[in-house]
Formats: sequence, structure tokens, C-alpha cells
Amino acid sequence: MEPLVKVVELKKWFPVRGGITSLFGKRQYVKAVDGVSFEISDGEIFGLAGESGCGKTTTGKTILRLIEPTSGEVYFKGENVFELDEERLRKLRKKMQIIFQDPYESLSPRMTVLDIIAEPIRVHKLASSYDECKEMVAEALEEVELVPPEEFMLRYPHELSGGQRQRVAIARALVLNPEFIVADEPVSMLDVSIRAGILSLMLRLREQFGISYLFITHDLAIARHMCDRLAVMYLGKIVEMGSTEELIRDPIHPYTKALIAAVPVPDPTAEKSKVMISGEVPSALNPPSGCRFHPRCPYAMEICRKEEPELVKVDGGRKVACHLVS
Amino acid sequence: MKETGPLNAILEIKGLKAYYETIKGYVKAVDDVSLRIKSKTAVGLVGESGCGKTTLALAVTRLLPSNGRVLGGSIFFNGKDILSISEEEFRKEYRWKKISMVFQGAMNALNPVYRIGDQIAEAIIRHENVSKDEALERAKKLLSLVGIDPKRAKSYPHELSGGMKQRTMIAMALACNPEFLIADEPTTALDVIVQAQVLKLIKSLQQELGLTLMLITHDLSVVAEICDYAAVMYAGKLVESADIVTIYKNPLHPYTKGLVNAFPSIRGEKKQLVSIPGAPPNLLNPPSGCRFHPRCPYAMEICRREEPELVKVDGDHQVACHLVSR
Repeated sequence: MEPLVKVVELKKWFPVRGGITSLFGKRQYVKAVDGVSFEISDGEIFGLAGESGCGKTTTGKTILRLIEPTSGEVYFKGENVFELDEERLRKLRKKMQIIFQDPYESLSPRMTVLDIIAEPIRVHKLASSYDECKEMVAEALEEVELVPPEEFMLRYPHELSGGQRQRVAIARALVLNPEFIVADEPVSMLDVSIRAGILSLMLRLREQFGISYLFITHDLAIARHMCDRLAVMYLGKIVEMGSTEELIRDPIHPYTKALIAAVPVPDPTAEKSKVMISGEVPSALNPPSGCRFHPRCPYAMEICRKEEPELVKVDGGRKVACHLVS
Repeated sequence: MKETGPLNAILEIKGLKAYYETIKGYVKAVDDVSLRIKSKTAVGLVGESGCGKTTLALAVTRLLPSNGRVLGGSIFFNGKDILSISEEEFRKEYRWKKISMVFQGAMNALNPVYRIGDQIAEAIIRHENVSKDEALERAKKLLSLVGIDPKRAKSYPHELSGGMKQRTMIAMALACNPEFLIADEPTTALDVIVQAQVLKLIKSLQQELGLTLMLITHDLSVVAEICDYAAVMYAGKLVESADIVTIYKNPLHPYTKGLVNAFPSIRGEKKQLVSIPGAPPNLLNPPSGCRFHPRCPYAMEICRREEPELVKVDGDHQVACHLVSR
């Protein structure tokens, strides 16, 4: 079956302006996303995990063409998203939505909940009358468990808690009946007691409407809870990809291993988390040669410094980019 | 100083009330909290944003903002009431010398125009009668203690990574050899691998230097990693405290149970996450009776009317809940 979303060799390089080097005509780039490919099937939750600066958010935004790509292709139901004109892109946007990380910043403080959720309805001219529009907003609010809807419609974001705000952001995406939602760290700004509620809501919406997600997170414990398949990114590249449960139980790439070992475990009797690697992620402006992880890798060999490993298939559906494997 | 506190309690908080004065009335951020911390242990103070955990720490260091008021209770440090002594005496004898703190987001509080070595040296000179050279020498030793090359004393904050800045802040907190270290969300802004590195550092420093540690966090899994005891706060009240294994394996307060169940784990069986309905209350006007009753699945009639007292269950296990005290 054709995948819902297909990403092929996606690249996004941000030019760096200013500084003395620009005087000599040598353009420098931050290679935020540097050749990323994956597929998301219908109804699947695909996770993109990694530390800050690994390019996971840029990948999500570029897929929706909120950022124009440097190169590569993204197909949504077989249609090349990057070749669409504005009119057709707008139509497609109905099917592809995004939920941002910070519900304190993604909602306009001057708009009521009704206006916030009605805006996409107006933009896409989905309602023929004010009443119909209001009806759609009420339905969306009910779907995200903000009930009774009348009580929330006339409130402003500052009158809502963080969890309620994120529900409004989800309702705003939901009101267009999307088939695909990019969820960019949707719970990282929320208190722990309400996180589980938002995550359960997102899982229920998938069951109910068959929505697929690209779920971006730095928290592997949450990724394990949410995602069917998971890709781990490091400095703009996918280093490992596979079914979430298998990948977490049996990671192959040294970076994935280190990342999983470092996650604190909410159980004092469990084995303590370990720090397997030292140092921090280097700058994406001048990424290391060869395998980008080699300066921190405990198993680095001569070849790792020189050649970049390709993402190759190992057994099952797993793909790994590491010279130890290939 | 002789040990006057019972059972080697280095810090004993009794009935502490710390409120914030606002136009709308008092925000009851810490309301009648009693807590005993044993010498040379690591205690995690856990709770969601706005539950009063940072206010409690600021009351202990006597650094409440200008609208903060301590309206009752006492804090004994090694048997001496540190709320009754003069600010002058507290500053000279206690703050930074015996009790020091790593503030939340403190790594962004480094002065960008001074070298980090000079900034640490300044903290030493302010509190002790030493020469500049001697202070700089000690600053270098402190840097190597927290795992930074002493040569980096000449670096400016922008030349350091997030993890190194946080290490610098820890070095600064240890500048005057304190006995008691408060760390307020020391790893929240850090990536997971760096978080694991910093947590490991804090734990090893606590053990090597014989420090008593109060770790403030919203993340129960961080507490599970490095603490011996945990104290759970909700809406300005201490609701449960016990050794760390009891908190996880046998929590008695419904809020603690809720928190434990709300955490996804990367190891073990994949379990269903359960959220706590509702949101934390406004502390200007907290709910009557037990403050958790509007969100509590087991709330009874008495919970609405009477406030439960913190009672001893066994050993170090204390809980404030009508389900238990009946």
C-alpha cells in the first residue's frame, strides 16, 4: 500500500549571514536537516526523537512546507508537496496540520477560544453561516474534552490552564478533519499530571478518526508510549529507525544506546541510568567529518572519521547508519 | 556546633507559612509545611509548577522576593532558628557558607561580560577574607571538581555549552564549602544525555563532600535516580514524605499515586498512563478542606470540610490524607 507521507532525501540548509567569512564570498550553511528519508503509513504514529538541534522540528515544519526545503521530496498521498502551487497547497493544508510545543505562545492572547478555532474554518471557507461555524467549533471542543463547549468558547487563552490551552490547539487542528498531524513536543511544556491526559487524547483521536502523526519528542519514554515506529536523529541525519518497542529494547547504533541508557527511570529499584558518552552535540555549522557521531562514539574506528555511514537495512524493519553494522 | 536537632536533622522546618502579598490578597504558596531533613541525605522535593517548592527553598535561604512574607513557623538549621537571626548574621554565617543554592535556569544568570573563573572567585571574596589570587586558585579547583578543565576559568559564558554552564553554577554554589545544597530544577533545560551527566555529578559530589542535598524537581524519575527520600508537595502543602522506595512502591496519598502512574518508563512493561483530572488550584483561594479533593478520585464528605493532618504511618513515612488517618 502507498504510504500516507513519504519523505525522500529531505534537506534543509540555513544560510549563515554576517560574520567576517561572508566578506570573502564563502557561504556557510547550518545543515539542520541533511538527507532524511522515511515513510508514514495510514493511521501510524511515527516518532522523531533526538536532542535539541538535531533537526527534528525543522523536518516536521519542512514536510508541511512551513519552511521551504533546500532539496528533496515529500509526497502526501502520492502528491509531491513541494511542487504544488499556492492554491493547491492551501487545499492540502486542510489535510495536514500541526500542534506546536508551547501552548502559551501558539494561541493569540487577543482572540477568544471561539475565534481561534473558527479561524481555520473561515480561511478554508468550510461553513456557510455563523451558526454552522459555531456548531463546528463546539463539536471540536467536545472532541478534545473541553465540555460544556459554551463555557470555553468566550474565554481567552490566559483564562485557561496549560493543558486546556493545548487542547484548544488540538481542536484548532482537528476542526479541519486532518489526516495527518505534526505534533511538535506537544506535552513538554505541560505539568506531568496533565501530560498523560493529552497523550491519551491524541491516541483516542487516532483510533476515532484514523489520524496519523509525526510525533516529535526529546523524551524517549514518551516516544515509547506513543509511537509505532521511531527514528532517532543526530545532527540532521537519521541514525536508526525501526519499530519503537524493538528499537528501545535492543538499540543497535551507539548513539541510540547512549540516549536510551541516559533516560532516568521512574523506579528507585531499577538499575540506574548510565552515562555512556561524554561531551555534547557539536555545532551543526561544522559537523564532524565521516560519521557525525564519531568524536563521541566509544567504538569509533578509522573508517568512521573518513566515510559517512549509510542508512542500511538490518534484520526486520530496522535501519541503522553505522560502520559497525555495515 | 553541637548537634541539637533530633536524629541528626540538619534542617527542620516547622509549620512554615510563606505567602506572597498581591493586590488580590495573599497567595498561600507554602502553607503550614513541616519537614525534617537528615544530615548527609539527598531529599527530592517533588511537585508541579506552582506548588510552592521553590518558595520553600527561597524561605530557607531567606531570599524571598520583596512581596514574600514568612507569616509563621520556624526553620532550624543544626538546631538554630535561622528565621530569628538578623539578615547581617544570616548573610555572614549561613548563606553560601552553610546553605547554598543552584537556582532554576541559573545557567542563564552568568554575567556574559566576565570570565567564569572571576565570577566564581567573586562569590568566594564576597564571603571570605581571601586575596584575589587565592580566590582564583580556588575557583580553578572548583572547576576541576565539577569536571571542567581549569584552563576554562578564562572562558566567557558564551563559550560554554549548556551543560558546562550548569556545572559552573554548581561550582559557584560549592565555593564556600556549604553543608547544605539546594538545587532547583538543575537539569530541566538540559538534553537527556547532559542531564544524566549533571545528575551523576551532583550525586557524586553529594557523597564525596558529605553534602545534604535538597533537589527540587517536577520529574519523579530524576528523584528516583539520585535521592534517598522524597517529599511531595501539592498546592502549598506537604502531602506525603517517605524514603524513595516507599514513595514508588507503596504511595498512600492519591496525588502521589497519580504522579507515579502518570510517568511513562522506558524500561519494564509498557503500562497505561493515567492522568489526574483537572488542574492545580489557584493559591489565592485554595479549595477548602483537603486541597486535593476537587481532583481526588476518592474524595469523601470530610475531605471537603476538614484539612487532613500530616500523620506518621510508619518509620519515616508521613502522609496527609483522610483515607489514611481515619
